[in-house]
Amino acid sequence: MSHNGQYTWEFVPHQHRGPAAQSGKDDHIHSPIRHNGAFKSRGLATFMGAPYCPPDRKAVREMGARVCFLGVPWDQGQMVRAGTSQGPSGIREASTQYSPYMFEFDVDLMTFFRPVDCGDIPIVPGNNERSHEYIYQYVTECLEGGAKVILCGGDHSVPIPGSRALSDFHRNGTIGYLHVDCHLDSAPDWEGSPYTNCSGPARAFDLPNCHGRNMAHMCSRNGLNPKDWVDFWIDNNVRMVPMQEVVDRGIEACTREIFDLAWDGTDAVYWSWDTDSLDASCMPGTTAPETFGLKPREAIQHARIAGTYGADIFEISELTPHFDVSDMSIKLACCMVYQYLGSRAKTLRDQGKAP
Amino acid sequence: MNPAKNFEHLFSPLGEPGNFKSLGVVTFLRSPQIDMETDALKNSGARFAFMGVPYDEGNVGKPGSEEGPQAFRVASHEYFPYWFEYQVDLAGTSVDCGNVRVPKVMPELAHDRIYRAVRTVLASGVTPIICGGDRSISISAAKALSDHIGEDKKLGYMHFGAHLEMADSWAGEKMAAPCTFARVSELPNVNTANMAHVGARNSMNPKDHVELAKKRGIRFHSMDEVLDRGIQSTVNEAADQVWNGTDAQYLSFNMNILDASAAPGVTAAEPGGFESREMMQTATLLGHRGSVSLIEISELAPVFDVSGTTAKLAACIVLRLMASMAKQRGEFVDQGIRRSDLRG
Repeated sequence: MSHNGQYTWEFVPHQHRGPAAQSGKDDHIHSPIRHNGAFKSRGLATFMGAPYCPPDRKAVREMGARVCFLGVPWDQGQMVRAGTSQGPSGIREASTQYSPYMFEFDVDLMTFFRPVDCGDIPIVPGNNERSHEYIYQYVTECLEGGAKVILCGGDHSVPIPGSRALSDFHRNGTIGYLHVDCHLDSAPDWEGSPYTNCSGPARAFDLPNCHGRNMAHMCSRNGLNPKDWVDFWIDNNVRMVPMQEVVDRGIEACTREIFDLAWDGTDAVYWSWDTDSLDASCMPGTTAPETFGLKPREAIQHARIAGTYGADIFEISELTPHFDVSDMSIKLACCMVYQYLGSRAKTLRDQGKAP
Repeated sequence: MNPAKNFEHLFSPLGEPGNFKSLGVVTFLRSPQIDMETDALKNSGARFAFMGVPYDEGNVGKPGSEEGPQAFRVASHEYFPYWFEYQVDLAGTSVDCGNVRVPKVMPELAHDRIYRAVRTVLASGVTPIICGGDRSISISAAKALSDHIGEDKKLGYMHFGAHLEMADSWAGEKMAAPCTFARVSELPNVNTANMAHVGARNSMNPKDHVELAKKRGIRFHSMDEVLDRGIQSTVNEAADQVWNGTDAQYLSFNMNILDASAAPGVTAAEPGGFESREMMQTATLLGHRGSVSLIEISELAPVFDVSGTTAKLAACIVLRLMASMAKQRGEFVDQGIRRSDLRG
């Protein structure tokens, strides 16, 4: 992509332009002064109200963005119910109901990370390979621009190109890969296709610099886990933490274990989080809601602990607003991202590091 | 089970016979559909026979459970027969006998047909899995099991639900859902010491229900007791009541045992109930008994459901129970089996 002008990062949501403009640069962390902000006047909703940035490495770098939000409206890699192509717009909508200031961490996500919304990745209906190629290219632009990526699917085939982009970006090093999901998703192929939402970890394992010892699965449960999926983890000696173990040992111990594995000697981590890891009672808005899952308080704890480790790509998948009830699912997914970023910011600040 | 020793169904599909979404005839866990007829059931070699009972005229609150069986079947299609937590294979264990033909506004005839259907399945030596329909279907199903084993045998009866259902009569009617537990307690070979009720809570338990339960010596484990003691202790004690010294056991779940947040798709969604993980633990614990004479699910009402979650939870309870029983019996899948195109 070429451009002529300079890109600058400036947080001025459209609601804050025009005759009713607010002026103070920290207005966004306080109650609104002159009007209701984004709470009802959503207009052009970006994630967190962050500035738009073209998905272009030069633009990302020039704007100094440390976090890029990328939507992936792709739901044709999945074999249960369709609808997760609407996930990115759902999470953007939910983000209008949150302030970028998080009191739990005393941090302003907006000025700390200088996040940008790079819009949605274009997809090609009916063509997994070409759609995945676009996902690979757009994620690569953000990584090359020096940012971490919040990658919001879309179905759970998204990590296939997503982890490939991270792998290539760190081609001289190694990466870790985490898959938090009620399904093991480790099909060698599904009816002959290696690129459906059943094969994320299997394809990550194929990457030249992603080793089984730096991979892990968490929250697996119930009867949509055919035997070849289970065999993958056992035969390749890759750590799998079933939901029963999460219940028995607790969310903290299990989360720490998988992030320790992923970061053991690696240069980057891909963290793939499927919304169906949550219990169906708090996450109806997902393609395959599943019982016996995480409670919201456990998911928040998981996200906060993840924030103490960090991830180069945090991917959210299978969010499906049209099955949602009272926006509870999109809001919980959005909250996971905020809690992760809040915890990440506090961790970096405590370490005296910049994002 | 599985005389063909074909294990393709344990694995991801290889392209044939078709896509996961192409359901074809919708049956319980994609099992064969057969007539509700003794010889057909005997010849099937199945351990379980699923039957729907689309009857909700015993209901005194919100209607809608007559749609339960179909939603239950569809939800079961989102599961494989292989359950990795238990390392068991449920394929070949069940058949689907379709729905009992329930007439409209003729409750006596409806109950008679339910009774005959359950007797037919029991006579063939197959364990019925009955999906209602409202709770009152248990009155005829329990009578069928009681008559099947005969007066000289002992029947245990276990129920999970929010309501005691101990009305001697409701508006003068003896066969309404709130009378279910009372009717079962009157069966000739049921000793009330072998009846257990778990999960009673909140204010749809009128005073006469509690008093009749006490009068008949029925030990009910209220939700408060469950919360105080924990699932394992309560469920195991209740199951001991039902299984110890009995020849047959009836196991029934009203979906309102679950908290309304976990199961919105029931006729009387009720707060303060089981969380989903507590229900899963319960299913596993009950499976440790190894076998049961009849499994019943009632009050699933898809019209109130959200994103299909309650139907899926109902299916998950039954499948986990089956899987836990199979594990208890040592019916494990050979862990060395691999997908046919991946065998080295």
